[in-house]
Amino acid sequence: MADQLYLENIDEFVTDQNKIVTYKWLSYTLGVHVNQAKQMLYDYVERKRKENSGAQLHVTYLVSGSLIQNGHSCHKVAVVREDKLEAVKSKLAVTASIHVYSIQKAMLKDSGPLFNTDYDILKSNLQNCSKFSAIQCAAAVPRAPAESSSSSKKFEQSHLHMSSETQANNELTTNGHGPPASKQVSQQPKGIMGMFASKAAAKTQETNKETKTEAKEVTNASAAGNKAPGKGNMMSNFFGKAAMNKFKVNLDSEQAVKEEKIVEQPTVSVTEPKLATPAGLKKSSKKAEPVKVLQKEKKRGKRVALSDDETKETENMRKKRRRIKLPESDSSEDEVFPDSPGAYEAESPSPPPPPSPPLEPVPKTEPEPPSVKSSSGENKRKRKRVLKSKTYLDGEGCIVTEKVYESESCTDSEEELNMKTSSVHRPPAMTVKKEPREERKGPKKGTAALGKANRQVSITGFFQRK
Amino acid sequence: MTTLTRQDLNFGQVVADVLCEFLEVAVHLILYVREVYPVGIFQKRKKYNVPVQMSCHPELNQYIQDTLHCVKPLLEKNDVEKVVVVILDKEHRPVEKFVFEITQPPLLSIRSASRLDACGGGEGASVMGRPPLTPSSDSLLSHVEQLLRAFILKISVCDAVLDHNPPGCTFTVLVHTREAATRNMEKIQVIKDFPWILADEQDVHMHDPRLIPLKTMTSDILKMQLYVEERAHKGS
Repeated sequence: MADQLYLENIDEFVTDQNKIVTYKWLSYTLGVHVNQAKQMLYDYVERKRKENSGAQLHVTYLVSGSLIQNGHSCHKVAVVREDKLEAVKSKLAVTASIHVYSIQKAMLKDSGPLFNTDYDILKSNLQNCSKFSAIQCAAAVPRAPAESSSSSKKFEQSHLHMSSETQANNELTTNGHGPPASKQVSQQPKGIMGMFASKAAAKTQETNKETKTEAKEVTNASAAGNKAPGKGNMMSNFFGKAAMNKFKVNLDSEQAVKEEKIVEQPTVSVTEPKLATPAGLKKSSKKAEPVKVLQKEKKRGKRVALSDDETKETENMRKKRRRIKLPESDSSEDEVFPDSPGAYEAESPSPPPPPSPPLEPVPKTEPEPPSVKSSSGENKRKRKRVLKSKTYLDGEGCIVTEKVYESESCTDSEEELNMKTSSVHRPPAMTVKKEPREERKGPKKGTAALGKANRQVSITGFFQRK
Repeated sequence: MTTLTRQDLNFGQVVADVLCEFLEVAVHLILYVREVYPVGIFQKRKKYNVPVQMSCHPELNQYIQDTLHCVKPLLEKNDVEKVVVVILDKEHRPVEKFVFEITQPPLLSIRSASRLDACGGGEGASVMGRPPLTPSSDSLLSHVEQLLRAFILKISVCDAVLDHNPPGCTFTVLVHTREAATRNMEKIQVIKDFPWILADEQDVHMHDPRLIPLKTMTSDILKMQLYVEERAHKGS
């Protein structure tokens, strides 16, 4: 009896109301644990397909597992359409988890509507967003709003401590109750402080680890190559939510050596400018990984709206850490010391100017993170070469959009990643595809390989030369 | 309330701005979802805190912007009955019409308007420390934003309820106005070299249409309904 009810509910949502039913949305709507929601969706798909093989039903799956790429092992989490499921599965060395992500009548062309679906329901359930979630963190409790920023700093430090511990702890906890289905839930995502679903959490976790590792690697000046394929991979996913964690490998290898520093560093990287007084001060900032930033921006869009100070601080913290510059071969971050707090830029909206002020102000809370090349630490307004898109009419009367490097005074924090390398197998038409950004125009990001012809065949194609 | 007119205008401007922004996003999204233009010219942008697809072709963007720029004064004066995005096949006959029926409640918003004005801002200015009496403009606009997000979502999934369009489609935008407005339009050419013409019967009339409602929204400042009129036989 109870079985039938939820099936009818899902049927009504999908077929009658033409909604996109994600497992998260279903879990909030029906008030069930996420794993139960996933199971319900799976049941529904199976039954519906058995009854009526021609049913207009499109399913997306969340796949996570480890992947060997360029000799590195990394963890990948992706939302894939049904038709791409087998292909993605076959690429993974170890498939940690597959479960139904969403069901809808319409074939989705991109992942935007999936986010849209979850956005509002999550926003309205902000206070108890982990109520039905499989990810829990006992230490994540709302803070009293009356705390000052200085004490909030201390909280950040302690939370970082807790987070690194919790991650270790939660990796071992088993999944919340839920019938063991044809899916195995991945352990990896459990390590995240209870914010969102496993996918997002996995991403966050990777990011946490990644930023921590990055912080270390800033001192080690490791190869920039690590990042590039990561980015390329992200963009090559059709539903680009892969969380590549190259640095897991590095993290493991350097864990023993740098263990203390890991804990030390994040506390330091929480960057209140008051801490910024060291000698040897070096600004390091992270070039924004476009898709990753997008994902975080999406999530951040929810997070920033959180009323919890604590979560906001955590968020700020993450943002600050994320802005640590990606190690590049041509950069000179060797002098950054792990315990020099001022090495990381403050992102709080109205920071008192640090003694060695950051290279640019950070005006917004929900931005593309500034990505300024670390320099000698002076307060310069540099002219940077920025990749910009120029659109013009060429000799043949076709509209051509070209990405060119242009010198631009870098007074605002809008320098995008210049070194983005391969975008792997993007179809030619999409080479001009730009990363998500807000309405305010900024320097456009594109493939770094300018020489590579912006293959605009398909774009100019609709100016038929008949 | 001697300042009634000014408040109304203020409000009209707010609504017109909100609507024009929304319509721009909606038009781009319709072009993306219905595959009027190749997918490659679209890129992900963010609006209302969700990802949307917008074209990056400069002439197309300019066209849409100019169109909506001309519609804006009509919206401010509440002269617009509906804005229709028509998709035409190769023979210039409509195959699909996305109809945005717009109603602005005339006096309902007075209280909110006075609130807005008293707090020293038109455009939803958020004044800190203001005692929350009547629905604040912040919560009003964020409510409207939520509703518009729902519209965006509905457009994204409208594929499920519509048939495929034949290849080689184009689009146009029609504005249905209340009576006197068109006369004014002719006098005021809002943008030079961007004239509006009275639509042909051929462009407006669709043979044997099916009606598919998509979404409705009601708020203090705006009521909108979106439905699709679809030709029964789209042919090829």
